[in-house]
Amino acid sequence: MMVADTLLQIREVTKRFGGLAALKDVSFDVTVGEIKAMIGPNGAGKTTMFDVLTGILHPTAGDVMLKGESIVGLRPDQITAMGMIRTFQTIQLFEGMTALENVMVGCHCRTACGFASSGLRQPAARREEKDIREKSMDVLKDVGLATRAGEIGTNLPYGQQRMLELARALASEPDIILLDEPAAGLNQYETGELAGLLVRFRERGLTILIVEHDMGLVMQISDEIVVLDYGEIIARGAPQDVQNDPRVIEAYLGIEA
Amino acid sequence: MRMGDRNQVRLLWGAAALVAVVVVFTLIYKGSTGLQWILSGLTVGSIYALVAMGFSVIYSSTRVINFAQGEFTMLGGMMMFTLCTRGGLPLWLGFLLTVGIVTLLGAGFERAAIHPLKDQSVITVIIVTIGLAIFIRALAKWIWGTDPVKVASFTGDKPLRFFGASIVPQSLWVFGLTLIAVVLVFAFFNRTLLGKGMRAAADNPDAASLVGVSASTSSLVAWSIAAAVGAAAGAVIAPINFAAYDAGAMLGLKGFSAAVLGGLGSAPGAVVGGLMLGVLEMITAGFAPSGYKDAVAFLILILVLLIRPQGLLGKPADVKV
Amino acid sequence: MDKQLARLPDAESRNYRTLAISTAFILLIPVWARFIPGDVLHIDIVNVMVLAGIYACVVVGLNLLVGYAGQISLGHAAFFGIGAYTTAILCTRIHGFPTWLGVLAGTALSGAIGWLVGKPVLRLKGHYLAMATLGLGEIAFILFQQLKWLTGGTVGILNIPPLSMFGLKFDTDLKLYFVVWIIVMALMLLSINLIRSRVGRGLRALHSSEVAADAMGVNTSTYKVQVFVLSAAFAGLGGALFAHFQKYVNPESFVLAISIMFITMVVVGGMGNIWGGLIGVLLLTFLPPVIQALPQWLPGLPSGLQNFSNYELVLYGLLLILFMMFLPKGVADGLGRAADFTEVRARRLGDRRKAKRLEGR
Repeated sequence: MMVADTLLQIREVTKRFGGLAALKDVSFDVTVGEIKAMIGPNGAGKTTMFDVLTGILHPTAGDVMLKGESIVGLRPDQITAMGMIRTFQTIQLFEGMTALENVMVGCHCRTACGFASSGLRQPAARREEKDIREKSMDVLKDVGLATRAGEIGTNLPYGQQRMLELARALASEPDIILLDEPAAGLNQYETGELAGLLVRFRERGLTILIVEHDMGLVMQISDEIVVLDYGEIIARGAPQDVQNDPRVIEAYLGIEA
Repeated sequence: MRMGDRNQVRLLWGAAALVAVVVVFTLIYKGSTGLQWILSGLTVGSIYALVAMGFSVIYSSTRVINFAQGEFTMLGGMMMFTLCTRGGLPLWLGFLLTVGIVTLLGAGFERAAIHPLKDQSVITVIIVTIGLAIFIRALAKWIWGTDPVKVASFTGDKPLRFFGASIVPQSLWVFGLTLIAVVLVFAFFNRTLLGKGMRAAADNPDAASLVGVSASTSSLVAWSIAAAVGAAAGAVIAPINFAAYDAGAMLGLKGFSAAVLGGLGSAPGAVVGGLMLGVLEMITAGFAPSGYKDAVAFLILILVLLIRPQGLLGKPADVKV
Repeated sequence: MDKQLARLPDAESRNYRTLAISTAFILLIPVWARFIPGDVLHIDIVNVMVLAGIYACVVVGLNLLVGYAGQISLGHAAFFGIGAYTTAILCTRIHGFPTWLGVLAGTALSGAIGWLVGKPVLRLKGHYLAMATLGLGEIAFILFQQLKWLTGGTVGILNIPPLSMFGLKFDTDLKLYFVVWIIVMALMLLSINLIRSRVGRGLRALHSSEVAADAMGVNTSTYKVQVFVLSAAFAGLGGALFAHFQKYVNPESFVLAISIMFITMVVVGGMGNIWGGLIGVLLLTFLPPVIQALPQWLPGLPSGLQNFSNYELVLYGLLLILFMMFLPKGVADGLGRAADFTEVRARRLGDRRKAKRLEGR
């Protein structure tokens, strides 16, 4: 059933809140190394889909498979450990932590020292701590925030906070990253930087599923687009095709159709 | 006052059924003695209900739990003692003055200490109300001393016979007051513009400006109502249970348990929760060593909190960060 | 970049340096306290400091739970009591039972019960968690009173032997002082290590946003239980030491007011600040003896104010309210802000210490 290079399979996922269906029978795959975009008007169910994928919500029906294994019912941290991580639509940096510390939290699932070894500062814990610090610094360098390492994350300018969230997610060494409107609030220059960064990460083998309202960015970087409206897929395909699909134009632009 | 979600209602029905079974069993097994326990339970339960209502009013309007709620009730009893028993004022005047003064205290504290805290964490607000509780209790000890005080009954002490059990007339006053209070509070939140506005504002702070009720007004009114209800409860129970400076803490805790049992935020729920708690407590005191009586409330509290549906633990609003 | 990496351990070692200096300072207190005759201060400093050290054991753990992980508990007097009763029962019922083993047993049992209770209760949040832990504390108190065959009811357990270890008997306040404060410093060291580690970051992340912490791979539900168990064990340890210090235990020492006192110490000192917790302990433990000594210090006081017990709690309640209103982040934060002020000025002169300090926080 599973094609060799399919990373994430979403099978007929339905999510109801009370009587309201936020997602209805949504199915699609994400292939290794692609940038897939999920777009749709507000309230189409995009963030709900992210919540279902990352284990914050459980689907009412359907299945989600990561690398061929079902992840429905797993805790968010278990899914993160399996190689899928997300960012948030509203920035969720940890309060009172420096930029570096924020990224270090991202290393959590790749490290192991618990209460005892950390509290007693055993050699293993020290070694691990040093590794975490170096790796996090590397990730910060990667997104261009190395000079901000010691500053409190929430004090950074908005655009840099977005980048920091990205860095924190990358520190978990994900195979696939889910980005929830990463360009929201960024200016044109910053959006350009972000696009370059994402393409660069893709070249390194990272798979990306992105929810974004900035159509310029979506059209520029994504390989394939899935369009959601009222919890259902109304179109999918290459950017140009989707762009010209009358149903998409109607759903998306409403009046202009 | 908040939409009691279905699970909460189901839980309440389950609890009510359980209490009903216990009551029937007690009546069959113990006859009129059992009836006596139940009547005392209803009396003390009414007071829990009134305290619970105080918690609910503040919580549903401001999402604050007022750890000093029981102290308002204690003050109610003590003021009655000073004004009527010592001061010789007529009952009705003493009662009105008591409620009026404690209401002013509640409102004054809200303005002085709760209002300035607006954006502080839950823990900070909890500690402030705990500080208030300690403060009031200590002042009461200073003013009235440590001995419990006796307040005269409103209409004599001659017990009324009731199927082999007896009930003091003061209990009827307690029932009456509880009924009046719940009707008034319910009507306030469902019939008046201000009350409806407060509910809307609590559910959706952004809507507050639309309905013309600011969070500030809401909080002030809620604290005033809670203080008034608490004081009235204390005033009317004082002739049955001796009033003492340290009675507030336990009353507060039990009132909170009752509120949680009835669904925090619902006035009728508070009454049902209070009565059930009172009855269970008295029946427990009848069957088990009376020292365990107080544990009933806390066991119920913890059980309800743990069985409590996802609906209240993780509302969608919490998830959508 | 390497410069930045090099700078971080510096902040860490500063914390250890503070610990070393304060340890030295605290261990020297009995020496200089000797030179102040008791009838000048009217406070037995060593005696109060032993009590403060015992409370500090609880507060250091509670600060990890409340200040770092953001989970409130209004029932820690229960764990304090479990530790105290465990060693008291073992050491009085079993003849010749080693007291240090009793202390260990108290710590372990308290932690174990913390685990049993914490697992279900920590699913609750905010006010609900506060009330549930409060309820648990009250149930424990009722059990201490009612399980007469085990706890001796309201009378409690008398004639608890003094702590002894390695053939040494710690039967005076002064001897106990050193044991208690060395333990406190060890617990502080453990906490500082923990906070600066992977686990500490996980706890702080959980405090800030549970959902985000979960999504970043932090197993928040397990962390909550683990830190609760740790704080329960610390409280049990404090309680066990308390039993051997006071030589008797009864339920009065484990009432709700004591739980509230613990949480107040955390809050007054500064949530999420290890040193703040210690400051909170010292302030609040010395408050009653100072109020008690006031009439002797100020002999001209009106007679209504002579009896301290009347207004001790009035002051206490008032202080709580005022602290929360004006220093909601605690004394330590207030001190920190004062330090900030001077550092900002220093920075204007080209000093970059502030940046360093921020990293170290």
